[in-house]
Amino acid sequence: MRGIPTVLITVSPEVSAQMRPPRAISPKGFRIGNSLGKPGMRQLQKKVLRDAIATLAAPARPGEVIEIAYPEYGE
Amino acid sequence: MTLLSRKCVPYTPLDRDLAKCTIALVTAAGVHRVDQEPFNIADDLGDLTFRAIGGDAAISDLMVTHHHYDHGDADRDINVVFPLELLRELATEGVIGQVAREHVGYMGYTMQLKLMYEQTAPSIAEYIDKKGKADAVILTGG
Repeated sequence: MRGIPTVLITVSPEVSAQMRPPRAISPKGFRIGNSLGKPGMRQLQKKVLRDAIATLAAPARPGEVIEIAYPEYGE
Repeated sequence: MTLLSRKCVPYTPLDRDLAKCTIALVTAAGVHRVDQEPFNIADDLGDLTFRAIGGDAAISDLMVTHHHYDHGDADRDINVVFPLELLRELATEGVIGQVAREHVGYMGYTMQLKLMYEQTAPSIAEYIDKKGKADAVILTGG
């Protein structure tokens, strides 16, 4: 079977990093259950999704979890 | 000390423009259609099965069965763990080529890690490849 490019969105970066994923982003400070943001925060959710998709075509950093800050998430 | 996997990183390069890519979602957040069998949360060993979700599924037809994270927010807005609706918007906007025909939900809790790694994960990958016809996959957890 051919390989399929993947990108992981994780809110548990320390745990995910142990598996050395091929591509991964981690929205900084997001709670478990909020992988793309809070309910109704459509623009933020879409921004996280776009960043994940962009990572598919970005320069390779295999095994690394890239943390990204989204201040609009709040506490 | 953090223990890192010693397996080779399974990195597959993307071989086409994002605007021409078919993209699928695979989530460990316990997402499934309301008319599908819920994941088995009664078994302490977890559930190794997965559910297929069509790319045209209505958001109101999706739900979460998972007992190892608080999915109250996902119950209110499934996009927080399974952004199918947003992926469809990005396809309409031309950011990606298209939304895959098939996506996958499973419950990312199991004590049977070897079976998950050797059987469930390859089965999901094959399903996404053959039925979803995906060029790339976005993975989410709870």
